[in-house]
Amino acid sequence: MNLPPGTTWLKVAVTIMLATAFTAMPAAGASKSTADHSKFKELQQNFQSGPEVTKACLSCHTEAAKQVQKTKHWTWEYLNPENKQRLGKKNVINNFCIAVPSNYAACTACHIGYGWKDDKFDFTVETNVDCLACHDTTGSYLKLAGMAGHVPYKDMEYPPGSGSFVKATDLKKVAQKVGKTSRDTCGACHFNGGGGNAVKHGDLDTSLEAPDKELDVHMDSLGLNFTCATCHKTGGHDVAGSRYAPTAVDRKGAQVRGSEDRKNPATCQSCHGQAPHTKTAKLNDHTSKLACQTCHVPSFARGGIATKMSWDWSTAGKMGPDGKPMTVKDDKKHVIYDSKKGDFVLAENVTPEYIWFNGSVQYTLRGDPVEKSDQPTRINRFEGSPHDGKSVIWPVKVFRGQQPYDTVSKSLVILHTTGNDDASYWKHFNWEKAIAAGMASVGDTFSGKYDFVKTEMTWPITHMVAPKDKAVGCVECHKAGGRLEKIEGVYIPGRSRDHLGLLDTAGWSLAALTLFGVVVHGSLRIATRKKKD
Amino acid sequence: MRMTKQLLMGAVLGIVMVGTAGAYDGDWKRGRVYYRQVCTDCHQSMAKKTISPNEKTKAEWTAYITADKHDATKKSNPSLKYATSRAYRDSIKTKNKAAEKFLEVPDAELQADIKAWVLYGAKDSDNPSRCQ
Repeated sequence: MNLPPGTTWLKVAVTIMLATAFTAMPAAGASKSTADHSKFKELQQNFQSGPEVTKACLSCHTEAAKQVQKTKHWTWEYLNPENKQRLGKKNVINNFCIAVPSNYAACTACHIGYGWKDDKFDFTVETNVDCLACHDTTGSYLKLAGMAGHVPYKDMEYPPGSGSFVKATDLKKVAQKVGKTSRDTCGACHFNGGGGNAVKHGDLDTSLEAPDKELDVHMDSLGLNFTCATCHKTGGHDVAGSRYAPTAVDRKGAQVRGSEDRKNPATCQSCHGQAPHTKTAKLNDHTSKLACQTCHVPSFARGGIATKMSWDWSTAGKMGPDGKPMTVKDDKKHVIYDSKKGDFVLAENVTPEYIWFNGSVQYTLRGDPVEKSDQPTRINRFEGSPHDGKSVIWPVKVFRGQQPYDTVSKSLVILHTTGNDDASYWKHFNWEKAIAAGMASVGDTFSGKYDFVKTEMTWPITHMVAPKDKAVGCVECHKAGGRLEKIEGVYIPGRSRDHLGLLDTAGWSLAALTLFGVVVHGSLRIATRKKKD
Repeated sequence: MRMTKQLLMGAVLGIVMVGTAGAYDGDWKRGRVYYRQVCTDCHQSMAKKTISPNEKTKAEWTAYITADKHDATKKSNPSLKYATSRAYRDSIKTKNKAAEKFLEVPDAELQADIKAWVLYGAKDSDNPSRCQ
């Protein structure tokens, strides 16, 4: 073999070695963990179930389950210290799939535990904690609806009777490759809230798994590549930032390392401080009235996935020509009618609605009075006012719909939708039976009479932060009919209501007269000087 | 004799390299980023549509990748491997940040990443995935 001049076999060998080393290098973004879990003998076994894996995890991480069991992710309960409302997924009613009780086995596919199939679930058993739901890095750990938080432990037909099959989860492989949480692990539930991708939040969907900078400057997979936990900083398995206790206004500065500050770290100000606009300082004058998100999240559902904007349960139950449940899709292939659920409206690139918000949220819970009228029942009322000194203007998604209520007790009801039993609405489409079963599951009675009531649910918009050159521009608010046209209690130059024709005419007349005077005066001075010359 | 030793050493290293390369089983997450930000970008401009992993089964993707026939419109290089090659990435690096970021990734590795991603999100996988 002829080598180029100056090339030795040693160089060839070194080149090969370097190439080998480069090829063997882990891919970009690979774990920098100091532990290779595949080397732990506790994990070198063929696990038969999730709890067996947890038992192995806890043999080293002795306190992990105890920590998890104190969190909302585990209890699905939250006691609002302000108004003493008992919230959490276990207690609230929403206008998507309505409620968790009586539907545990389906809903708890998003519980970080194993075996929550009814109200007898034991929250004290440590091996019931599911470590892998949050720490899987393989993407192969999939908790399926209807399995009470378990993954398939053997190949099985899923859904039952569908003719489709899922493979058993390789628990050994998943356990040996555990790592930090990721957008994928958090997103497995939070991107799919409300029963599917992009349904609930509007600013959280699977487009954020690998977003570009246009979609989110922080999660940009080629740039900052934030995971959820970068902002939702976690300590002792307790994840900061919650919609049950939102931080509407953060008047503190950026958090620094070593700070003992216990404030919510998942706010913009935690990193950017109170005066983040260095080039256009005038913008800092807006921060006392506007949440950062109001300008920096110009629209939601921007990742190419439509979010649900309304859900009308009152039309559910219509069958197709063959007498079987049907779905109807629009020209973009969005499901806009489902016999099981009713009518939907979906949308992409949605401009938010804007409200004053001070962080307090009042829920309409089971037993709270509701009245059928043209005015919708607000399932979670965001409190706020321009005059309370603690509110700012926030962008929100308002999800509208109609859902069943008891016309005698005048209360929202729980609907038993899932499962194969006689009362399951999605199986038998019988409202009376499904509501009775849902209410019975929480020890409540149902009068037997139901109707549908209009409801609204509000969701703060805070993700999908656009690049600064795509933020909401001045003229989008400072004009007639702008984004903040309906906002009360604040003066916005250029807005219709802040616009008085007579005053404008007087102002412009004064400006014109001033200009006229300057021109005349200047002209006279010039003319006078020429004569003297 | 010296030449023989050097050849032998080179051969051993070569085998090690091939063996190591073969052990690389693809990073589906990196494949997803490249697919969504390079492949999809091109699909949208050339084919006027997105092509998602969930449009084929795992077997269909494997056959498609093996066949190495890519652009049915014949508007671009018909080789699938070319679409992940360094040469291609280099040609678009000024207008595509993902191509620039992954410029130095060995071709074989990136091809494995892409394969891992489409199989991960295939129609018959546990995570049928579409590209937005």
